[in-house]
Amino acid sequence: MKAGTIYDELARGGISRREFMKICGLLAGALGLTSVPPVDVNAAYDALRKPDGLVNLVAEALQTKPRLPVIWLEFQDCAGCTEALTRSHDPTLVNLVLNTIDIEYHETLFAAAGAQAEAAKEAAIKKYAGQYVLVVEGSISPGSGQIYCTIGGRGSGDLLQEAAANAFAVVATGNCATFGGLPRANPDPTGAVGVMDLVTDKPVINVPGCPAIPEVFTGTLFHLLVFGAPPELDSLKRPMPFYANTIHDRCLRRPYYEAGLFADSFDDDGARKGYCLYKLGCKGPTTYNSCATIKWMEGLSFPIQAGHPCLGCSEPNFWDGGGFYQGQSAPLLRPAAALAAGAGAVGLVLGAGMATANQAQKKRAHPTEQHKE
Amino acid sequence: MNWLAILDFARGPFFEVALLVFIGGLAYRLMRILLLGWHFDRIKPAGSKLGGALISYLRGILIWPFIPWVRNTFSKNPVIYIAGGLFHLGLFAVIFLDAAHILAWQSLLGFGWPSLVTPIVDWLAAIAIVAMILLFINRLVNPVLKLISGPAEWLNLLFVFIPMLSGYIMAHHLFFAYEVNFSIHMLAVDILLIWIPLSRISHFMFYFFARAIHGADFGKRAVIP
Repeated sequence: MKAGTIYDELARGGISRREFMKICGLLAGALGLTSVPPVDVNAAYDALRKPDGLVNLVAEALQTKPRLPVIWLEFQDCAGCTEALTRSHDPTLVNLVLNTIDIEYHETLFAAAGAQAEAAKEAAIKKYAGQYVLVVEGSISPGSGQIYCTIGGRGSGDLLQEAAANAFAVVATGNCATFGGLPRANPDPTGAVGVMDLVTDKPVINVPGCPAIPEVFTGTLFHLLVFGAPPELDSLKRPMPFYANTIHDRCLRRPYYEAGLFADSFDDDGARKGYCLYKLGCKGPTTYNSCATIKWMEGLSFPIQAGHPCLGCSEPNFWDGGGFYQGQSAPLLRPAAALAAGAGAVGLVLGAGMATANQAQKKRAHPTEQHKE
Repeated sequence: MNWLAILDFARGPFFEVALLVFIGGLAYRLMRILLLGWHFDRIKPAGSKLGGALISYLRGILIWPFIPWVRNTFSKNPVIYIAGGLFHLGLFAVIFLDAAHILAWQSLLGFGWPSLVTPIVDWLAAIAIVAMILLFINRLVNPVLKLISGPAEWLNLLFVFIPMLSGYIMAHHLFFAYEVNFSIHMLAVDILLIWIPLSRISHFMFYFFARAIHGADFGKRAVIP
């Protein structure tokens, strides 16, 4: 597998030097590399001094580094993140990146099954100790004796800790692996948690989404490959190159929001004219992701462009964070009519009680005064 | 800090509790005032009580505010009169005619109504904010107002000012991330909801009772107030 560098393998596949440099430029651009993270100071400085320095940095990494070993664990997931990644059409940036990694274990993609597959994973963990990237898809259920999610008879919590112990970094892909996602939705029967709740001694990078955008996921892996370190992360451990802006900030319907032009239903005149979907429950203003810029299916479209409000799938608690079609300004909880009436009744009774007590006190204080009621 | 969690709290349980306190508190205040007692009015009716109440509303809400120069209140301090009026107009437009707020009403009441176009609401909100600053300065410099202003008066201004300002900042995506502005706005609104029954801001409700009762008294005497 690790016969040569990535460039060697690409060259063997018939990629010319010219094509290779184009690929590097594409990758650098897709990563949004406007600055070099402080990993290798000298290399970064040299790269920045030269025109196309970032492209060269990428080229150098691909020419000198072997493929990145990846172990991919799936727990309480739907394999949707894997589906999104593998169904990207050829030739794409995603494929290019997939050529530069070396997936040692992946339940959905593996031909092997059962004890064979588990043995391959154990061998990979030993062989690439400290070098491999652990990718986790799906939430983990560490409580309740780990009965809710077992693979090969072992609980998800143990499997994660075992694989994370030797990993160089852990990438959680999709909302489930990052924040618990759908399995964590109320009433959360399995006690689902994300990777960052359990793995605290390794760099954890969150790539949330439902599913994660393939380019964002591969871009993150690629960053690890080129720089040997995670990209800059936000407070929720999401890579800043992809999660720095909200959907709303980059939305093509934003001018309509500013002008106060909204679609009131999915098939009214406003919807046909492409007006803002805020009233239809769009969560774009509080959702950080790259859907509006990188988009989906090779930049073809994304939900809001296709006429559907953003669900906020790259944010924690997105499943319980208000109805998908309920406007974001509406409260999440509102008292039931009976409860509101009860509060009013309590107020009336307390008011009447207090008024009566006051009158009684007044009578006691001035017993001779006659009340002309 | 995870602002989304704070936002979920401010839009969720805190809002629910605040609303219940608001409803219960206003019911309590209303009952207290109703049970202060009614004076026995022996005057022989010379006119309609209902008519008097209706005229009172008409004049108080629809006529006097728009021809203020007839009244002393205006000629003595026109800037403050206009500031007060525009503040109330802006507040009304923002709360009842802004698209985002109508969504909130819709979720609470089960029905909505058409909104005013955003730029107009926006201007009215900005004017209301400026008006509040003017009213604050007036309260600071006017010796009489200063004398009768206790902590509650300053808190009234503050608790209305913060939701207005944070809402404006949020609508224009200024200074902080949207969820931060949204959280501040919702927390401020929740605090305001709890504060209203405890304070003189409850005049938004008692105003209508007061006008009805005084109007009825005048109507009964066939006097045009």
